[in-house]
Amino acid sequence: MKFLVYIFRNARRNPIRSLLTVGSVSVCLFLSMILASFLTVNDEVNSSVKIYNRVVTMSSQGLGGKVPVARVAEVAAMDGVVAASPFSWYGGSVGNERMPFAQFGVDPSQIFTIMDELSVPPDQLEAWKKDRAGCVIGAKLASDRKLKIGDPLPLKGTIYPFDLDLTVRAIYDGPSNRDLRMCMFNWDYLDEGLKKSSMAGAAGNAGIIYLKCKDPAAMAMLSEKIDKAYTNSDMPTKTQTEEAFGKMFAEYFGNLKDLILAVGVAVVFSLVCVAGNAMAMAMRERTTEVAVLKAIGFSKGLVCFIVLSEAIIVAGIGGLVGAIGAKFFFDFVDIAPYTAGFLPFFYVPWSTALVGMAASLAIGLVSGLIPAILAANLSVIKGLRKVV
Amino acid sequence: MIPIKYNVRNLRVRWATTLMTVLGTGAVVWCSCILFGMVEGLQHSLKVSGDPLDLIVLRKGADAETTSGIDKKTADEMSTLDGIARDERGLPLIAGELLSIPVVQRANGTRTNLIVRGIQPASRALRPDFKITEGRDLELGRGECIVPKLLAGRFKGANIGGVIRCGDRESYRVVGIFTAGGSSAESEIWVDEKDLSRALNRESSVSCIQLRAVSPEALGRLKKTISSNDQFKLDPLSEVDYFAKQTQSSIFLQVFGTVIAVLLTIGALFSAANTMFAAVSSRTREIGTMRALGFSRSDVLISFMSESLLLCMLGGAVGLLATIPLSALTFGTLSSDTFSELTVNFRLGPTVMIIAVGMTAVMGLFGGLFPAIRAVRLDVISALREL
Repeated sequence: MKFLVYIFRNARRNPIRSLLTVGSVSVCLFLSMILASFLTVNDEVNSSVKIYNRVVTMSSQGLGGKVPVARVAEVAAMDGVVAASPFSWYGGSVGNERMPFAQFGVDPSQIFTIMDELSVPPDQLEAWKKDRAGCVIGAKLASDRKLKIGDPLPLKGTIYPFDLDLTVRAIYDGPSNRDLRMCMFNWDYLDEGLKKSSMAGAAGNAGIIYLKCKDPAAMAMLSEKIDKAYTNSDMPTKTQTEEAFGKMFAEYFGNLKDLILAVGVAVVFSLVCVAGNAMAMAMRERTTEVAVLKAIGFSKGLVCFIVLSEAIIVAGIGGLVGAIGAKFFFDFVDIAPYTAGFLPFFYVPWSTALVGMAASLAIGLVSGLIPAILAANLSVIKGLRKVV
Repeated sequence: MIPIKYNVRNLRVRWATTLMTVLGTGAVVWCSCILFGMVEGLQHSLKVSGDPLDLIVLRKGADAETTSGIDKKTADEMSTLDGIARDERGLPLIAGELLSIPVVQRANGTRTNLIVRGIQPASRALRPDFKITEGRDLELGRGECIVPKLLAGRFKGANIGGVIRCGDRESYRVVGIFTAGGSSAESEIWVDEKDLSRALNRESSVSCIQLRAVSPEALGRLKKTISSNDQFKLDPLSEVDYFAKQTQSSIFLQVFGTVIAVLLTIGALFSAANTMFAAVSSRTREIGTMRALGFSRSDVLISFMSESLLLCMLGGAVGLLATIPLSALTFGTLSSDTFSELTVNFRLGPTVMIIAVGMTAVMGLFGGLFPAIRAVRLDVISALREL
């Protein structure tokens, strides 16, 4: 510890070089944080839903398949179920924007019992329940689009051959890692429209069924029970926990994950080169000095330690700015509205930021290794003789 | 003018520093090539899909084939319309196609939605350069399928003789591998339309109608006839427009890729600047000597800038070389329009190369600028006096 001041002074010896290295590391780590969060936000949100004991029933044919609406009541009556609601994707456009946010037909009397982490003022909830053509929207969606209670929100059907004339009746809020940009409306309203349209045959489809279980122990058994009940029906189902359901979506992205990983590895490699180079240059300039240190009795290990610490400190400062900076940057700047519905929310999870920080320290360590070994093994005589 | 040989020699003498910088910038260029190659590939697969004479008919309001639905009777009526091109046997080039997006297992065990397209005989002629490259074409009504070359091996059973399972009930035997000029058809499995409609219980409807007009005038007429018929409630789009609309959804990825590439470039720029600052400070006496010999300030500036440019260009060359093995790679990801797997070939074409070279030039120029200015500003006398 007593060498800390010396190490810091060394790091500040050539301020431009240190600043450029810090800049390089922080910019690249900032970028890696964006990429990594792309993957980890999904995982974090998925595993965070565990505590809500929810189960999702979908058609075994995939999301395009049908789950008859009669089954909502059937599964709701099963043991261990608190509530169930259809959750039918509408996917309409707003004006000329295609699918700018998620839209679902749900059961107004059940949905907030199931998603009890979301909160709605009771009077608004009542107003929504009374208005068949009413909808409830997320607080972030409301602020993005400046929507208030009573505002119209017309949706144009793309999957369904009819439009919905919705009115905002309620606004829900909830934790920041929940989708606060959904629009939910009465499933019956959707089905009525469908019956009157050219796609009358498609009516009566619940989409998927969202279920809340009483306790986590019941989830696996219940899933099995539901699927078993319909195995021999026309429309078999696949039931899984909400977490597994979310993971399924992450799988859809396919090789995007590998690509991001490849870019991440290349960035780290590039940083090792950059930081290593800077450290090597710093040591070259200080050859005489290192020789003096050794001449006055500094051990090999100590010299090694001093050089490594300097490398780690410089890279670490870059990591602090880049990784932790990205965490705070995206806490304040919400980029989700600019992704055209691609991301319902975006933030840098603490776990990711800390991994980024750790990566920067590792980069410092690896980049300092060769200069440190060279310095430790420097011949005192040669070093003292050298004219820089 | 200070000869460029001087700079080349300097880079060679400080080979360790040069190598590190070159590898660092090379990795950055490689990353950017991956990103842009991916975006390019994505856009290409959506772009090449349209023939200017092709029409794609969807239900009014639907914005993708996967979400559309048309009564089969209507589809049959349309084949009698005037102005539809015919093949050599005199059959009209019109096909009602049925799409389903079942969950299918990838070869690595993960699952995704995949488009299964029920085709009619004319579908083949309606795709650019449709060709069976291996095996044979599917026979009607026998539960057979053909898979695109890009997709072969990526999914469980997607090889000749294999069986592709869709959900619990459907499965199709693979009898052939096809290519279709890099169009979006190369992300789909093709089966017989009758097989699929039976499996889906959707015998009375198709998802979309593809057709080709005899001439641009006929195309306009057909468009008008179809859209003006209130009974049909159909929306005829030229294929070119349809796919142009789909490309829009890749704009976000493009912007995203660009932001990342710009950030990467800035990162690499710092490292180039670092190297050049070191080069200038270790050559202070040399610079003084050169100035004393009569080289002008601008000579010194140009010399250092070109050294920096050279350094970065070397990095760019290494990065570009490293992307060569990538051009054979394909990747699969989710298309936000059809909500199903889109199989894409990396495209490291001229655009990507030009961008990469441009990036390295920017790195070299801006990275070298401030160190070069510092070199120019050195006072000759004190520079010479420097130890």
